[in-house]
Amino acid sequence: MALTEETSSPLFKLGEVLGEDWPNLRKAFAETQTVVNELGQLLSAKASADSSIVVTGSIGRKEYTQSSDLDWYLLVDGAADARDQKTFLTVEQLISGVDRFKKGPGKEGTFGKLVFSQPIIHLIGGEEDSNKNTTRRILLLLEAIAIGESRAFDRVRKGILRRYLDEDKGLFRKDHIGNTRWVPLFLLNDLTRYWRTIAVDFAYKQFDRGNKGYSLRSVKLGTSRKLMFASGLLACFWCDPQISKIDGQEKQVQGLIDNLDEYLTRTPLERIALFFNAHLDSRDASFLKRNASAMFSAYDQFIELLNENESRDRLERLQEGKRNLTPRSNEQGHQKTIW
Amino acid sequence: MTAIGFSTGALALGDFQTALNLVRHKRISAIELSALRVHELPDLVTALPHLDLKQFSYVAIHAPSSFDAHEEEELIIELLRNVPNRFPIVLHPDTIHDSARWTAFGAQLLIENMDRRKSDGRTAKELGAWLNRLPDAGICFDIAHAQHFDPTMTEAFRILGQFGNRIRQVHISELDSASRHFPLSYSATQAFSEVTGRIPREAAFIVESRITQNEIDSELQKVQSLVSQMELVPA
Repeated sequence: MALTEETSSPLFKLGEVLGEDWPNLRKAFAETQTVVNELGQLLSAKASADSSIVVTGSIGRKEYTQSSDLDWYLLVDGAADARDQKTFLTVEQLISGVDRFKKGPGKEGTFGKLVFSQPIIHLIGGEEDSNKNTTRRILLLLEAIAIGESRAFDRVRKGILRRYLDEDKGLFRKDHIGNTRWVPLFLLNDLTRYWRTIAVDFAYKQFDRGNKGYSLRSVKLGTSRKLMFASGLLACFWCDPQISKIDGQEKQVQGLIDNLDEYLTRTPLERIALFFNAHLDSRDASFLKRNASAMFSAYDQFIELLNENESRDRLERLQEGKRNLTPRSNEQGHQKTIW
Repeated sequence: MTAIGFSTGALALGDFQTALNLVRHKRISAIELSALRVHELPDLVTALPHLDLKQFSYVAIHAPSSFDAHEEEELIIELLRNVPNRFPIVLHPDTIHDSARWTAFGAQLLIENMDRRKSDGRTAKELGAWLNRLPDAGICFDIAHAQHFDPTMTEAFRILGQFGNRIRQVHISELDSASRHFPLSYSATQAFSEVTGRIPREAAFIVESRITQNEIDSELQKVQSLVSQMELVPA
């Protein structure tokens, strides 16, 4: 995912149309840019034509906050070469030397690893498509960027899309009333499966960790995780020219990969903003504007919460069933809808 | 009839005369005279007026794939000025030091798309920047380079969609992960067949697979089959 300049981001273009500023999203966007630039300098020339340093999570979504960790892996898409392990260890050492990333990636073992493209592309479904493999694949599509050299990253993402579209034999087929099916259902089903996996794993982590961090995970599940899933579903529907309003979309797999690849280059928030931007001149414009304002403003508040140490600490300590945090209102009258 | 033939470099490296002898009397209508190393170019240009090229309806020259700025000005461009206008000159964009020096070649110049090991000239966007600098130049579409850069052939699709009308020549072969040219495999021909229908019928196909004399006919047959499958062969 290439980082777009703030001025060209469809998110802030939508904000202009709606007369909204979303200062916390702006701040997170700018902070992400700074962190990515720092990482780019730190890890300069570590990736190659056949490998990319992939970062997912809040940095991939351009939502960096004080508490963000760094979920990364070295993605290799090339001939087997034992030197990749040396590159991985070097990258790991460099990242662990940065104060703000001392915390390290999550404990599930999905990140902070050397990862190869073959299982990600080849093993979709079936017993060998592990939780880790699915997670890496879906996050590569929905919320990831490459630090520096992105050739392997770009190739693998297109390779994944190609798998989903090639196996979808009913794609472009007309139904009994002559409507073409543009929505890639294999992809849609796998995104949905991943969302269900996240939801089930939420309960698993609750069990495994004895409710520790329950509230913060719950909030994230209902906001950033759900947003990512929704933006993935929207990506599937974006394939339909009636939704994307893209002229001249061909009924051809490469054309659809091209469209999807460009759409997925955007962050989840940007994808949803693109949808609103494309439809604000429709008959439902006032309904869409109202909902867009409410949704993005709520998300802006969620980012604000993550950036406030006190609120975040309270949320981390909050036990399941004890909803003792008082909802607040901001100056625009939006109620804090996070919990 | 689509002109199909070989790169002399693929058949005999810098020994273009041996390569020409290998394809003599075969039903091959195109040839690319290759001088991929700087030191091969003077001999090729000197020999050019004396070569028997009557067999070929399409003849192209492949310029060296690496040279410094001094060589570009003092040697390469000076030598290539002696190449008749009717022979297109294939050039790797990443070798160019000063594009202004190349504008005089106009439509004779064909810019080739690069593989993933290179830092420029790989994508439609990067090619577009070169074509802006060299507005009359055409394209030598290297289908293996395009597949190497993006195995889904989406970038090939983009290049053909945006610049299909500027493609005058196609390079065809299979590349391994280390960018070495090999004979076409089933997998490669399958990938190529997805986009060859978008290549202009007038474009000549030049085989770059590194093959032996004994493999010339079978490699040619694969390319002919690919071309005919895509209904590129005109009456």
